[in-house]
Amino acid sequence: MAGQSKFRISEEKKRVLLVEDEIVNQEILKEILGDTYEVIIAETGEEALKIIEERYETLSIVLLDLNLPGIKGIDVLGRIKSNPAYVNLPVIVMTSDSEAEVECLMLGAIDFIPKPYPAPKVILARILRTVELSEDRETLRLTERDHLTGLYNKDFFYRYAAQLDLYHKDTPTDAIVFDVNHFHTINDRYGKTRGDEILKLIADKALQFVKENGGIACRSGADTFMIYCTHRPDYQSVMDRLSVCPDGDDSGKSRIRMRMGVYADADKTLDIERRFDRAKMAADTVRDHLTDPIAIFDHSMREEEILAEQLIDDFPAAINEKQFAVFYQPKFNVRGDVPVLTSAEALVRWNHPKLGMVSPGTFIPLFEKNGLIQTLDKYVWSETASKIREWKDRLNVSLPVSVNVSRVDLFDPELPEKLLDIVKDSGVSTEDLLLEITESAYTEKSETVISAVESLRGCGFRIEMDDFGSGYSSLSMLSDMPVDALKLDMLFIRSAFKERKDTRLLEAMIGLAKSFEVPTIAEGVETEEQFLNLKRMGCDIIQGYYFSRPLPVADFERFITENKKA
Amino acid sequence: MITVETLKEYGADVNQGLTRCAGNEALYLRLVQMILTELSSETLGDALQNGDLEKAFEAAHKLKGGVCNLALTPIADPLCELTELLRNKTPGDYGALYSRIVDKTKELSSL
Repeated sequence: MAGQSKFRISEEKKRVLLVEDEIVNQEILKEILGDTYEVIIAETGEEALKIIEERYETLSIVLLDLNLPGIKGIDVLGRIKSNPAYVNLPVIVMTSDSEAEVECLMLGAIDFIPKPYPAPKVILARILRTVELSEDRETLRLTERDHLTGLYNKDFFYRYAAQLDLYHKDTPTDAIVFDVNHFHTINDRYGKTRGDEILKLIADKALQFVKENGGIACRSGADTFMIYCTHRPDYQSVMDRLSVCPDGDDSGKSRIRMRMGVYADADKTLDIERRFDRAKMAADTVRDHLTDPIAIFDHSMREEEILAEQLIDDFPAAINEKQFAVFYQPKFNVRGDVPVLTSAEALVRWNHPKLGMVSPGTFIPLFEKNGLIQTLDKYVWSETASKIREWKDRLNVSLPVSVNVSRVDLFDPELPEKLLDIVKDSGVSTEDLLLEITESAYTEKSETVISAVESLRGCGFRIEMDDFGSGYSSLSMLSDMPVDALKLDMLFIRSAFKERKDTRLLEAMIGLAKSFEVPTIAEGVETEEQFLNLKRMGCDIIQGYYFSRPLPVADFERFITENKKA
Repeated sequence: MITVETLKEYGADVNQGLTRCAGNEALYLRLVQMILTELSSETLGDALQNGDLEKAFEAAHKLKGGVCNLALTPIADPLCELTELLRNKTPGDYGALYSRIVDKTKELSSL
């Protein structure tokens, strides 16, 4: 491979630009440095500046004699240090004039080599050290900052924030996290170049803010920024300062929507990262809040998150150990003179070994978010189906029970088979297991949902539309919706029977269901007044505390038995 | 002939000069020859003759760098003195100092 460069950075000799017009001095330095460096000679200031302009990226250091013909050394130094492209190129001045030293230092020279020269080892050591320091500084410059915006990156930001704490132990501080709502859509709408420009604009504003108010700022992720600053009384003004317009015109009305989380007057005994975790936790609570995009961390957020994590961790054991208990709430047909027990709803409770009874309001939304709900639903379906079978055998009672089918289940193409397997394995029929599907499931991707529901009905299952009146399904959609019963939203019933009773809407709903020949179920019925009114309005089935609260299985079995006798 | 020994006899601080050349004797002697050529140039003499003190300073300063690094003490002493006078444009007997430089240069070249 003779004559061919090895093309390895580690084997390239570093380059020294020696600006020196005296040939004897040139020769001496070449002798000293030649083994370690490639020495490039410039005999005049003009020549030196030309070489720097052309090759500054591959120069490691400049050794500069002050007394040059033409442009003086001191002017060469001034020009190097005033040009942003070469400002980081280290310059060692060589002079016999000790008076020039201060001026050169002020101009940015990094060191001196006196004339006559000191011992070669001293010269070499000074140059080596300077090059090393300058490379370290350059590495730091490249790594501590985010290339796009010039703000600190996260690691260095945390480090500098912790250093600020050391100097300002007693100063109250805020950890602020903010990001752009759905930033990817900005890239999609305006292009990546414009997206990057927007990030730069936001970064500039953040930088300006910390320049004026103190503190430091960083870009911690794609469109996420953080500010560590002294505690302030309000954050809307910060948000206003940071917001930009997508078209770059700050006078424009359309602003990019951002959200902000603040951990105000942060606890300094916590790691800096934990403090920003809290700010992030707050920010996560206001995604898509257009009117109130700023959230201040409070401890309930942390407790909620910790609880959520614990519940997720404990979920598999809870399924294996059957910690989930299925409660049953009876439903009565009220069309005749005497209410008749006609079915029940299966409702899940978590009997947690450490936390006690956990409300479904706590874990259902959580499991809906992370998909665990599918496992839980299946568990409830099986438990319920086997109870229905047991009651047939042991109590001689055939009572259909409705179970919840979550939105995510409807997107599972194997849902009908899974349900059919459960029904088959338990020895019950599809008519015994009623399926409750919440109205809001129909509004999103309604075609997929409607076809899933149709295929369930095709298998013989009956569908009850849950929470009817809470969602936004249009009345016209009702005619296309394959349902066997409408279950009126509990809140809807409560509000109809509030202090200023207004049941007109409720009556209209029931009337509407009748016109589609679909029976109505009212849940959350607590009083006789509610019961009588609903019955009068033509409501078919009633569920609620008026008849019974949801009962553990043993109590429910007693309830069935007594009801049967009656 | 210019050798380490004759230079020592001449009064040069050969040890120091050699140290600066990383102990490379051949280089040292070659550089002494080079500076001798530079010292024989008329630039400094002409500038002094013409009263161009700025140019004279530049020439003296440049020579001084090489001469001092090679530790040619007999020339370095008057040359440093002359350079400082010229730097501050102090009136003085430049001619006498220059003559000493010329004499010591001739002495060096006749070694």
